[in-house]
Amino acid sequence: MNPQSQNPIGPGTPDAEATLRLIAALPAPQGLEDRVHAALGAAFESGRQQPRARGRVLAWRTPHSSGNSWMRTAAAAAIALVVAGGGWGVYSRVQQPLPDRITGAPARISAPGGFGSDGAIRTPQTLTGPVLTHPPEAKKTGTKAAAGKATPHAAHAHSTPELLPQGAHAGPK
Amino acid sequence: MCLRLVGMSTSQAIYAGWMEIPDSAVADQARNQAEEAAVAALVDQYAGALYRVAFSVLRNPADAEDAVQEAFLRVLRHRDTLSEVRDHRVWLIRIVWNIVLDRKRRAKTRPETDDVEELARVLPSSGLSAEQMAAAAQHHAQVLACVDQLPSKEREVLQLSAFEELSSVEIAGVLGITESSVRSRLFRARNLMAGLLNHARSLR
Repeated sequence: MNPQSQNPIGPGTPDAEATLRLIAALPAPQGLEDRVHAALGAAFESGRQQPRARGRVLAWRTPHSSGNSWMRTAAAAAIALVVAGGGWGVYSRVQQPLPDRITGAPARISAPGGFGSDGAIRTPQTLTGPVLTHPPEAKKTGTKAAAGKATPHAAHAHSTPELLPQGAHAGPK
Repeated sequence: MCLRLVGMSTSQAIYAGWMEIPDSAVADQARNQAEEAAVAALVDQYAGALYRVAFSVLRNPADAEDAVQEAFLRVLRHRDTLSEVRDHRVWLIRIVWNIVLDRKRRAKTRPETDDVEELARVLPSSGLSAEQMAAAAQHHAQVLACVDQLPSKEREVLQLSAFEELSSVEIAGVLGITESSVRSRLFRARNLMAGLLNHARSLR
């Protein structure tokens, strides 16, 4: 950074920065590197004698005697028992049959302002329509003779031919 | 790398596993030597610069040298991370800067006027008469007293900007701020310095 070129301030500041630059440019004392090397060498040697820490979190002790092996086994068994028991407890709770629940579907809500299906009849009323109490009167559109010749059976067959069996047709062949 | 005995049969070599020097031991030794050489090279290259940075704040040769040694001891302690450092110079200056500020904070009890007067005598004044040398020393002392009156943020930027080899980006890296912050702090520092110096001159 060149302070002279960036200095927008009055005449006092260049003097100040010149002083700071003089300080910054002071030479290092003779033999500084050698003294630092010596200090580092001593520190390095002492560091060699002590093993460098490698971020080990747990330092397990090696078993020197087998006298406490049964205790270790018992502790391991107890831990395994506790873990297994806890697991079984959770498993048995989870495996209980849940009661059946019938969940009703929520009522449909029609959109406001739209077409609703209220009062809509999906089944035609003709299937359960009114029952006739009197037979309907014959139509008087034809002649009286024709009306007299016609038997009720034939008239019935004529009116509903599909209900008769195949060989029981009343007409001459 | 394994050192095996030459002339063994395969079975002998298998059963003589205890004779092997573990790979990790050899690798550790080689790595230690490489790291030691790397730290030594850093000392040769940057010890002078670190000393000047330390001296600009501490203004005492012995304290500055101690700070440099402590900085390199820290580097030695964290030499595992040397390969991850992108700019060793800025990294080292940042280390020594933190050490120096910490020492300065702890040594607040010592009167700074003694340091300023001693430093004013130390500063080069070749080619000047005795009277001019005295005037220059007085001027330097006055400037340094004004620098000490600056707020810490502005003072730090002003002190680091005096090092010709440090760009504003590198100053930002040393202080852990952005480059625009460096510029604005430097601007404020120069304004404040101008005011302080004018005030000091008006008092004379």
